[in-house]
Amino acid sequence: MNLEKDTNYIISGLERSGTSMLMQMINNAGILTSFDDSRKPDTNNPKGYFELEGGKIINRLMEKNFPFDEHKGKFIKITCYGLKFLPTGKYKIIYSERNIEEILDSMERMAKIKDDARDETREIFLKLNNIIKKQIKSRDDIEVLFINYNDILKNPFENINKIIDFLEIPKNLEEEMIKVVDPSLYRQRR
Amino acid sequence: MNDETESNDTVAIKIPKEIYDKISDRIKDTDFSSVDEYIKYVLQEVLSDDESEDEEVLSEEDEEKVKERLRSLGYLD
Repeated sequence: MNLEKDTNYIISGLERSGTSMLMQMINNAGILTSFDDSRKPDTNNPKGYFELEGGKIINRLMEKNFPFDEHKGKFIKITCYGLKFLPTGKYKIIYSERNIEEILDSMERMAKIKDDARDETREIFLKLNNIIKKQIKSRDDIEVLFINYNDILKNPFENINKIIDFLEIPKNLEEEMIKVVDPSLYRQRR
Repeated sequence: MNDETESNDTVAIKIPKEIYDKISDRIKDTDFSSVDEYIKYVLQEVLSDDESEDEEVLSEEDEEKVKERLRSLGYLD
Protein backbone atom coordinates (compact mmCIF):
# COMPACT_ATOMS: atom_id res chain seq x y z
CA MET A 1 0.00 0.00 0.00
CA ASN A 2 1.64 3.21 -1.16
CA LEU A 3 1.36 6.52 0.61
CA GLU A 4 2.15 9.96 -0.78
CA LYS A 5 5.80 9.90 -1.82
CA ASP A 6 6.48 13.52 -0.89
CA THR A 7 5.37 13.10 2.70
CA ASN A 8 7.06 11.78 5.82
CA TYR A 9 4.67 9.76 7.94
CA ILE A 10 5.30 9.60 11.66
CA ILE A 11 3.90 7.67 14.60
CA SER A 12 4.53 9.64 17.76
CA GLY A 13 3.51 10.20 21.35
CA LEU A 14 5.18 10.06 24.71
CA GLU A 15 7.36 7.03 25.18
CA ARG A 16 5.26 4.02 26.29
CA SER A 17 2.06 5.55 24.91
CA GLY A 18 1.31 2.79 22.40
CA THR A 19 3.48 3.96 19.51
CA SER A 20 4.86 0.46 18.83
CA MET A 21 1.36 -0.98 18.60
CA LEU A 22 0.38 1.73 16.12
CA MET A 23 3.50 1.02 14.02
CA GLN A 24 2.62 -2.65 14.08
CA MET A 25 -0.95 -1.92 12.97
CA ILE A 26 0.31 0.16 10.05
CA ASN A 27 2.87 -2.49 9.12
CA ASN A 28 0.30 -5.28 9.36
CA ALA A 29 -1.93 -3.44 6.91
CA GLY A 30 0.85 -3.57 4.34
CA ILE A 31 1.53 0.16 4.55
CA LEU A 32 5.20 0.97 4.04
CA THR A 33 7.11 1.40 7.29
CA SER A 34 10.78 1.94 8.10
CA PHE A 35 12.28 0.16 11.08
CA ASP A 36 15.18 -2.10 11.84
CA ASP A 37 15.88 -4.82 14.37
CA SER A 38 18.46 -2.92 16.38
CA ARG A 39 16.26 -3.17 19.46
CA LYS A 40 14.93 -6.71 19.78
CA PRO A 41 11.50 -7.57 21.16
CA ASP A 42 11.55 -8.04 24.91
CA THR A 43 9.12 -8.33 27.79
CA ASN A 44 8.34 -4.62 27.56
CA ASN A 45 7.45 -4.84 23.87
CA PRO A 46 6.99 -8.54 23.08
CA LYS A 47 5.91 -7.81 19.52
CA GLY A 48 8.84 -5.51 18.83
CA TYR A 49 9.67 -1.83 18.94
CA PHE A 50 9.34 -0.97 15.22
CA GLU A 51 12.06 1.64 15.61
CA LEU A 52 15.01 2.90 13.63
CA GLU A 53 18.48 2.88 15.18
CA GLY A 54 17.30 1.30 18.39
CA GLY A 55 14.95 4.20 19.03
CA LYS A 56 17.83 6.63 19.23
CA ILE A 57 16.93 8.72 16.19
CA ILE A 58 16.28 11.58 18.59
CA ASN A 59 20.06 12.01 18.67
CA ARG A 60 20.12 12.28 14.86
CA LEU A 61 17.28 14.80 14.94
CA MET A 62 19.10 16.91 17.52
CA GLU A 63 22.20 16.79 15.33
CA LYS A 64 20.07 17.70 12.29
CA ASN A 65 21.35 14.77 10.24
CA PHE A 66 18.40 12.37 10.11
CA PRO A 67 17.80 11.45 6.44
CA PHE A 68 14.09 12.23 6.10
CA ASP A 69 14.26 11.97 2.28
CA GLU A 70 15.10 8.25 2.57
CA HIS A 71 11.90 7.63 4.48
CA LYS A 72 9.39 9.62 2.45
CA GLY A 73 6.20 7.71 1.72
CA LYS A 74 6.79 5.46 4.74
CA PHE A 75 5.93 5.50 8.41
CA ILE A 76 8.67 5.93 10.98
CA LYS A 77 8.44 6.18 14.75
CA ILE A 78 9.71 9.34 16.41
CA THR A 79 8.72 9.67 20.02
CA CYS A 80 7.39 12.93 21.45
CA TYR A 81 10.61 14.72 22.44
CA GLY A 82 12.09 14.09 18.97
CA LEU A 83 9.30 16.12 17.34
CA LYS A 84 10.79 19.19 18.97
CA PHE A 85 13.62 18.92 16.44
CA LEU A 86 11.53 18.16 13.36
CA PRO A 87 12.86 20.21 10.42
CA THR A 88 10.56 21.95 7.95
CA GLY A 89 9.05 19.40 5.57
CA LYS A 90 5.73 17.76 4.78
CA TYR A 91 4.44 15.44 7.47
CA LYS A 92 1.45 13.40 8.49
CA ILE A 93 1.63 12.45 12.16
CA ILE A 94 -0.47 10.02 14.14
CA TYR A 95 0.07 11.10 17.74
CA SER A 96 -0.83 8.66 20.49
CA GLU A 97 -1.89 9.62 23.99
CA ARG A 98 -2.40 7.34 26.96
CA ASN A 99 -3.32 7.57 30.62
CA ILE A 100 -0.26 9.26 32.16
CA GLU A 101 -0.20 6.92 35.16
CA GLU A 102 0.02 3.94 32.83
CA ILE A 103 2.82 5.63 30.91
CA LEU A 104 4.77 6.29 34.11
CA ASP A 105 4.16 2.73 35.34
CA SER A 106 5.40 1.35 32.04
CA MET A 107 8.45 3.64 31.99
CA GLU A 108 9.43 2.59 35.50
CA ARG A 109 9.02 -1.05 34.62
CA MET A 110 11.07 -0.73 31.43
CA ALA A 111 13.82 1.35 33.05
CA LYS A 112 13.75 -0.92 36.11
CA ILE A 113 13.45 2.05 38.43
CA LYS A 114 11.21 3.20 41.25
CA ASP A 115 10.62 6.89 40.65
CA ASP A 116 10.74 8.66 43.99
CA ALA A 117 9.90 11.95 42.27
CA ARG A 118 6.93 10.65 40.33
CA ASP A 119 4.78 13.75 40.91
CA GLU A 120 7.49 15.90 39.37
CA THR A 121 8.03 13.45 36.51
CA ARG A 122 4.30 13.42 35.78
CA GLU A 123 4.17 17.19 35.68
CA ILE A 124 7.16 17.43 33.36
CA PHE A 125 5.95 14.79 30.90
CA LEU A 126 2.44 16.23 30.82
CA LYS A 127 3.99 19.60 30.11
CA LEU A 128 6.21 18.11 27.38
CA ASN A 129 3.14 16.43 25.85
CA ASN A 130 1.17 19.69 25.84
CA ILE A 131 4.03 21.71 24.37
CA ILE A 132 4.70 19.24 21.56
CA LYS A 133 0.98 18.89 20.76
CA LYS A 134 0.67 22.64 20.55
CA GLN A 135 3.76 22.89 18.32
CA ILE A 136 2.63 20.26 15.84
CA LYS A 137 -0.92 21.61 15.72
CA SER A 138 0.37 25.06 14.86
CA ARG A 139 2.73 24.05 12.03
CA ASP A 140 1.54 24.45 8.45
CA ASP A 141 3.70 21.55 7.24
CA ILE A 142 2.11 19.01 9.59
CA GLU A 143 -1.24 17.25 9.47
CA VAL A 144 -1.91 15.45 12.70
CA LEU A 145 -4.36 12.89 14.02
CA PHE A 146 -4.55 12.60 17.79
CA ILE A 147 -5.54 9.18 18.98
CA ASN A 148 -5.83 7.59 22.41
CA TYR A 149 -4.26 4.21 23.18
CA ASN A 150 -6.74 3.41 25.96
CA ASP A 151 -9.62 4.18 23.62
CA ILE A 152 -8.12 2.08 20.81
CA LEU A 153 -8.27 -0.93 23.11
CA LYS A 154 -11.87 -0.16 24.07
CA ASN A 155 -13.12 0.90 20.64
CA PRO A 156 -10.68 -0.51 18.09
CA PHE A 157 -12.93 -0.31 15.00
CA GLU A 158 -13.86 3.31 15.60
CA ASN A 159 -10.25 4.36 16.10
CA ILE A 160 -8.85 2.32 13.25
CA ASN A 161 -11.36 3.98 10.97
CA LYS A 162 -10.14 7.37 12.14
CA ILE A 163 -6.67 6.30 11.00
CA ILE A 164 -8.02 4.98 7.69
CA ASP A 165 -9.82 8.27 7.03
CA PHE A 166 -6.78 10.31 8.02
CA LEU A 167 -4.49 8.38 5.67
CA GLU A 168 -7.14 8.09 2.94
CA ILE A 169 -6.44 4.39 2.55
CA PRO A 170 -8.86 1.59 1.65
CA LYS A 171 -11.32 0.60 4.35
CA ASN A 172 -10.62 -3.09 3.80
CA LEU A 173 -7.24 -2.65 5.55
CA GLU A 174 -9.21 -2.44 8.78
CA GLU A 175 -9.21 -6.21 9.19
CA GLU A 176 -5.41 -6.54 9.21
CA MET A 177 -5.02 -3.55 11.51
CA ILE A 178 -7.48 -4.81 14.08
CA LYS A 179 -5.65 -8.12 14.42
CA VAL A 180 -2.84 -6.21 16.14
CA VAL A 181 -5.01 -4.82 18.92
CA ASP A 182 -4.21 -7.31 21.61
CA PRO A 183 -5.83 -6.62 24.98
CA SER A 184 -3.44 -9.11 26.57
CA LEU A 185 -0.69 -6.53 26.02
CA TYR A 186 -2.59 -4.07 28.17
CA ARG A 187 -0.57 -4.80 31.28
CA GLN A 188 -0.43 -1.34 32.81
CA ARG A 189 -4.16 -0.77 33.00
CA ARG A 190 -5.28 1.88 35.49
CA MET B 1 -28.22 27.53 34.21
CA ASN B 2 -28.70 27.77 37.92
CA ASP B 3 -26.67 25.83 40.35
CA GLU B 4 -27.20 25.08 43.95
CA THR B 5 -24.90 23.85 46.63
CA GLU B 6 -25.28 20.12 47.23
CA SER B 7 -22.35 19.49 49.57
CA ASN B 8 -18.97 20.98 50.34
CA ASP B 9 -17.42 19.09 47.41
CA THR B 10 -20.09 18.99 44.72
CA VAL B 11 -22.85 21.16 43.33
CA ALA B 12 -25.96 20.25 41.35
CA ILE B 13 -26.26 21.80 37.89
CA LYS B 14 -29.42 21.74 35.80
CA ILE B 15 -29.25 20.77 32.15
CA PRO B 16 -32.08 20.33 29.61
CA LYS B 17 -33.65 16.89 29.77
CA GLU B 18 -33.08 16.47 26.05
CA ILE B 19 -29.32 16.68 26.57
CA TYR B 20 -29.52 14.38 29.57
CA ASP B 21 -31.36 11.79 27.47
CA LYS B 22 -28.85 12.06 24.63
CA ILE B 23 -25.99 11.49 27.07
CA SER B 24 -27.82 8.54 28.61
CA ASP B 25 -28.01 6.96 25.17
CA ARG B 26 -24.42 7.78 24.39
CA ILE B 27 -22.94 6.16 27.50
CA LYS B 28 -24.70 2.83 26.98
CA ASP B 29 -22.06 0.10 26.52
CA THR B 30 -19.27 2.41 27.67
CA ASP B 31 -17.30 2.54 30.90
CA PHE B 32 -19.24 5.60 32.06
CA SER B 33 -21.52 4.48 34.86
CA SER B 34 -23.66 7.61 34.96
CA VAL B 35 -24.49 10.82 33.14
CA ASP B 36 -22.84 12.73 35.99
CA GLU B 37 -19.60 10.86 35.41
CA TYR B 38 -19.69 11.57 31.67
CA ILE B 39 -20.37 15.28 32.12
CA LYS B 40 -17.60 15.55 34.69
CA TYR B 41 -15.18 13.86 32.28
CA VAL B 42 -16.12 16.12 29.35
CA LEU B 43 -15.82 19.28 31.42
CA GLN B 44 -12.45 18.21 32.79
CA GLU B 45 -11.24 17.64 29.22
CA VAL B 46 -12.46 21.08 28.13
CA LEU B 47 -10.83 22.77 31.11
CA SER B 48 -7.65 20.81 30.56
CA ASP B 49 -7.54 21.96 26.91
CA ASP B 50 -8.02 25.56 28.00
CA GLU B 51 -5.24 25.26 30.52
CA SER B 52 -2.92 23.69 27.97
CA GLU B 53 -3.49 26.71 25.72
CA ASP B 54 -1.61 28.78 28.28
CA GLU B 55 2.03 29.23 27.41
CA GLU B 56 4.03 26.36 28.85
CA VAL B 57 7.77 26.02 28.65
CA LEU B 58 10.18 23.33 29.71
CA SER B 59 12.88 24.75 31.92
CA GLU B 60 16.45 23.54 31.42
CA GLU B 61 15.99 21.46 34.55
CA ASP B 62 12.77 19.93 33.17
CA GLU B 63 14.45 19.18 29.88
CA GLU B 64 17.36 17.50 31.60
CA LYS B 65 14.92 15.33 33.52
CA VAL B 66 13.21 14.34 30.25
CA LYS B 67 16.58 13.46 28.70
CA GLU B 68 17.58 11.48 31.77
CA ARG B 69 14.37 9.44 31.54
CA LEU B 70 14.82 8.91 27.78
CA ARG B 71 18.36 7.68 28.35
CA SER B 72 17.11 5.23 30.96
CA LEU B 73 14.59 3.93 28.40
CA GLY B 74 17.17 3.68 25.63
CA TYR B 75 15.79 6.49 23.50
CA LEU B 76 18.76 8.81 23.79
CA ASP B 77 22.54 8.42 24.06
